[in-house]
Amino acid sequence: MSSRPFFEVVEPGLETCVQELPGRIGHWEQGFPPSGPADAWSFRLANLLVGNDRDAAALECQFLGPSLRFLADGVIAMTGAEMMPRLDGAAVALWQSLPVRAGQVLATGGGRTGARMYIAFAGGIDTPKVLGSRATFHMAGVGGVEGFAIKAGQVLPVGETAGPVMAQQILPAMRPPIETGKIVSVEVVAGPNDDWLGDAGAAGFLAANWTVLAQSNRTGMRLKGPSIAFAPRAYDKLPEHGQDPANILDHGYPVGGINIAGQTPIILLQDAPSTGGFINPFTVPSAALWKLGQIRPGQQIRFTPVTLDDAHEMRRRQDLICTASQALGPL
Amino acid sequence: MIYETPRFYPAGDRYIEVELGNEMSFDLNIAVHALAAAIRAADLPGVIELIPEMASMQISYDADRMSFADVCREVEQLYALSSGAGDIELDSRLINIPILYFDPWTEACIADYRSRVTDKTEDPELLCALNNLAGRSHLKRLHAAPEYWVAALGFWPGLCSLMPLDPRSRIVAPKYNPPRSWTPKGAIGIGGAITCIYPDRTPGGYQIFARTPVPIWDREQKLPAFRDNLALFRPGDRVRFIPIERDEYDYIEAKVSEGRYVHSVVDYQKFSMANYRTWLRKLEHAA
Repeated sequence: MSSRPFFEVVEPGLETCVQELPGRIGHWEQGFPPSGPADAWSFRLANLLVGNDRDAAALECQFLGPSLRFLADGVIAMTGAEMMPRLDGAAVALWQSLPVRAGQVLATGGGRTGARMYIAFAGGIDTPKVLGSRATFHMAGVGGVEGFAIKAGQVLPVGETAGPVMAQQILPAMRPPIETGKIVSVEVVAGPNDDWLGDAGAAGFLAANWTVLAQSNRTGMRLKGPSIAFAPRAYDKLPEHGQDPANILDHGYPVGGINIAGQTPIILLQDAPSTGGFINPFTVPSAALWKLGQIRPGQQIRFTPVTLDDAHEMRRRQDLICTASQALGPL
Repeated sequence: MIYETPRFYPAGDRYIEVELGNEMSFDLNIAVHALAAAIRAADLPGVIELIPEMASMQISYDADRMSFADVCREVEQLYALSSGAGDIELDSRLINIPILYFDPWTEACIADYRSRVTDKTEDPELLCALNNLAGRSHLKRLHAAPEYWVAALGFWPGLCSLMPLDPRSRIVAPKYNPPRSWTPKGAIGIGGAITCIYPDRTPGGYQIFARTPVPIWDREQKLPAFRDNLALFRPGDRVRFIPIERDEYDYIEAKVSEGRYVHSVVDYQKFSMANYRTWLRKLEHAA
């Protein structure tokens, strides 16, 4: 396997980082979260467009994209949030393969719709793996490029391409429907700690519109809304569970868990802490996490309860969509 | 209490929270680790990874390979087998951590908090007052006496929750309110009945009274202990704190920065729950 320098970072954008699937697996018990793309659906489609394994390492751009100068000829693709990309000044489209030549500059701007755009490169980004993954966990400086988001002047390599890449697009029906309206509906499965809210508390939580706060990042999405009511067991508990009704004896934190930090719900995202002492009454299923990756501060979330069986079915459907035979069409 | 059978709660479509009880106790925590060891040994096809905690664990699973109901059934059977006899034996490394008690850096951190946030009792004095200790030397003697059990890891890479294996060294303290905005890297603290080592300069809430020059995680993997991993501890390890003076602290710190420090890790022992319980009973009789 040969790796070659493929692009230089001209402007890094806002915390633009290398991500990879399935992320950093097997070290969670020591406190290393899985990381990986916030919108895995768009991420995988970008890789399919350039002929990569759908889980190969690619760039995640957040709110404000980067500018890159290519050092060799190749093929790239962009998916996800519309960040108005221009190649040597000419507007180029998302959701399709894009040949680039050495010396050309890709410039991107602020996101118009959605929050995160993905840039995949034929061959896949080939930075060193740390604890088995290239995914960036920049809170602690693990993975990515020297542990962190990309910086101006850095040169990133790509791996060997599988073969020539055809001119192709993602069929419109297979693209994630990024919500641009005020209210975004996000599925949740009850548990693990829904019994700490009780029926009344859970009903109140699900009936509310929750505003996404600007103090959100890849570790968690903070929400503002009405006060949360708890079941009697949240008050009547052993002292080691803590003093706040939302406190529980330290336990594992699932990705997608809606963590009740006192009265502030924080949805635990890909870089969230592995454990902690607050309850998680609901969990966003894996197939709906992409929606969180594309929500902008100020939008509101309305949670829609689904069963565990529904959540498994959603995942299988999305998994099928993210395959070359389903997603790709001629350009 | 410790439940008769594990309780399973779905956490979305990829995770399961397994609760074995609802108290903070060594017996319950070792049941969690024994179950984690049994699950790993069984090598179940759809189980991806585990996060053992105080009284529970989180299982990551692949539902396309093993259903929620099948994971629960298998884990319940493993628990029945692993918890019955009371003669659990687990591989357990002993890791020696040199620490300087009442060091200038935690003292400065406490002074900073007292001047900027609230004029609380200094942490060592608070620990002495709450635990009926004669003074700092008594606190140091008591804290350095036992081996500690790595009951859980997490929140931040490498952050460990340590329980003293000798009940006579149990020291308790409330957490800071409000929390500290910073803590020196390597500070040793107590919150509830748990001792922790701060892996990095992070916010915190435990009462602090000592510091180690030895890193417990290193993203640059400079030292031999981090060749295969970025974090030192694994659940089920034991820790002993070795009191050192300032000159040795400086010597170790220099070796660490030169990349030549070798952590003291003893790796040939097992922890026997039966022997441990027998020893606890002897202590009770003697008291």
